[in-house]
Amino acid sequence: MTRTEQLASLPPIELMMREERRRARRRLWTALAFMSPALIFVGVFLLLPVAFNVYASMTKWAKFSGLDQYAGLANYQRLLSNPNFSTATGNTILWVVASFFLPAMLGLALALLVKGLKGEETFKSIYFLPRMFSATAVGVVWYYVYANEGILNSGLRAIGLEGLTRRWLYEEGIATPAMIVTHIWQQVGLTMVLLLLGLNALPSEPIEAAKVDGASRWGVFRHIVLPLLAPTILVVATVSVLAGFTSFDLVWVMGRDFPNRSTLTLAVNQYWESFRAGYWGYGAAIAVVLGVIAFSISWLLGALQQRLDRR
Amino acid sequence: MAALDIAKLDLDAIAAKERRAQGSSALIWLFAALLAIAWLVPFYYLLVSVFKTNAEYGLGHPLALPQSWQPILENVYEAWTKTRMGEGMFNSALYGIVGAGAAVFIAALAAYGLTRIDFRGKNFWFMLIFSGTIFPLQMYLIPLFIGYNKLGLNNSRLGMILFYTAICIPFPVLVLRNYMAGLPREMDEAARLDGCSEFRIFHSIVLPNCWGPMTALFLIQFTWVWNDLLFSMVLTSREEVRSLMNGLMVLQGSYAAQTPNVVMTATLLASLPTVVLFFLLRRHFMNGMKLQNL
Repeated sequence: MTRTEQLASLPPIELMMREERRRARRRLWTALAFMSPALIFVGVFLLLPVAFNVYASMTKWAKFSGLDQYAGLANYQRLLSNPNFSTATGNTILWVVASFFLPAMLGLALALLVKGLKGEETFKSIYFLPRMFSATAVGVVWYYVYANEGILNSGLRAIGLEGLTRRWLYEEGIATPAMIVTHIWQQVGLTMVLLLLGLNALPSEPIEAAKVDGASRWGVFRHIVLPLLAPTILVVATVSVLAGFTSFDLVWVMGRDFPNRSTLTLAVNQYWESFRAGYWGYGAAIAVVLGVIAFSISWLLGALQQRLDRR
Repeated sequence: MAALDIAKLDLDAIAAKERRAQGSSALIWLFAALLAIAWLVPFYYLLVSVFKTNAEYGLGHPLALPQSWQPILENVYEAWTKTRMGEGMFNSALYGIVGAGAAVFIAALAAYGLTRIDFRGKNFWFMLIFSGTIFPLQMYLIPLFIGYNKLGLNNSRLGMILFYTAICIPFPVLVLRNYMAGLPREMDEAARLDGCSEFRIFHSIVLPNCWGPMTALFLIQFTWVWNDLLFSMVLTSREEVRSLMNGLMVLQGSYAAQTPNVVMTATLLASLPTVVLFFLLRRHFMNGMKLQNL
């Protein structure tokens, strides 16, 4: 057979391509069949609600009516003039800043402290333990820790610091930081474990080389460990801040008589306006604000991460 | 790195440095131990409080040791009946086991589709599923509450299970996608040539290799569901279907000032299952941490 004859005996190129397209389509359908339960659950219970929430935030929906009345950005304008919203925003900003820096920094300090220490596993379990409790349970216990006759005040009295005792969960300017301390006590075990994994994955050569060259421990940490670990630290801080500033359970349990509380956050404000007061449209607008903050944080930190990776 | 010149090394200085390092490491250990004790004070406080009567709690120092162990019986009885803890435990266990179990299985199916079958636009479909993790939980609350009311799913166990399943899917998809992508594909190709169905390949070849990460993911998601308060508050109000944490929150709301010892006992009882689970399956939990770091 000549080459021309060989080619002629093959099926035409279009047929082959059509066959290949058919196979590709079948593979797509098979893959979709495998993904369909996940897609249906996520679509129906998560994505659809988010879309509906955005729509609802632009309606006059309150109590039992108004879902069909378009309100434009009126709910968002109302946010700006509501004193509860400003209190909540101020506290939420504090939560964002604190839960970005503190869990990662203190977690790193703990990781460096216990790494290679005798009984490392025991120390790790102890620092991690609060994380196995629910935020509700932690909130209940620390509600009593901060109580008037609670262990913090009686501890301060015992060491002669009577002057420092106070009503921790009721004084303005102290109550929110007190709750943040509780939150960090609970979360820092997790960041410690994650950062220890990062530390143990670092290449050992540059660190050993620097030690042999006589670098101090601080020098090794500052100039070698920290730059190598920076991407991990950033991931840990990102996860912490995204979970931290929307935390509801702890603030709800430790604070009482909302909404006129100095500890109000956007998450609690959102719950209150919707489920207690019945201002659905307005509550939906607060949820959108929380979403926008989450997106901005993710975007900002994602960009930072890319710069770190490129270095 | 410069080659070491033994002759130039000051051995005495190195020995001194070693001694100093040993001394300072003892100090570091002491510091870590003191910090660990401070860390445990709230738990110690929780433990002694459950052994105190109401009067004893009110009069004594909060950290004082209890006078007898007997009040715990009364406290447990009070805490158990006031929070209807039997039902709460059952509900939380049901939501956690079914929700997390179904979610991890569904995530494994999706991860199989995303990694073992070649098709175009994989990234799009992955992002569609994974986007379920980027929104703050607050964006789901109002629509779910209203939608559930319309469908009659509020105050129902089915409604709670369905939602917890959905919220627990995206993260395991991310983890299992990375994990399955690392498994060799020769076995599936061979099975495919032998005419095995895709589900058979998933079920008998890929799934058995994924039990490790799936166990860890199940534990992480189970703990999350068990510990969640927000969605139980929004989607249930009846005592028969509410979760354990919801019951605890309600108890604290009414009795925090009157009977702290009972509230503390309820807190301990509600937390025991996940804490015991952690100590029994520590290795799996720590494996789960490794997965989170991907």
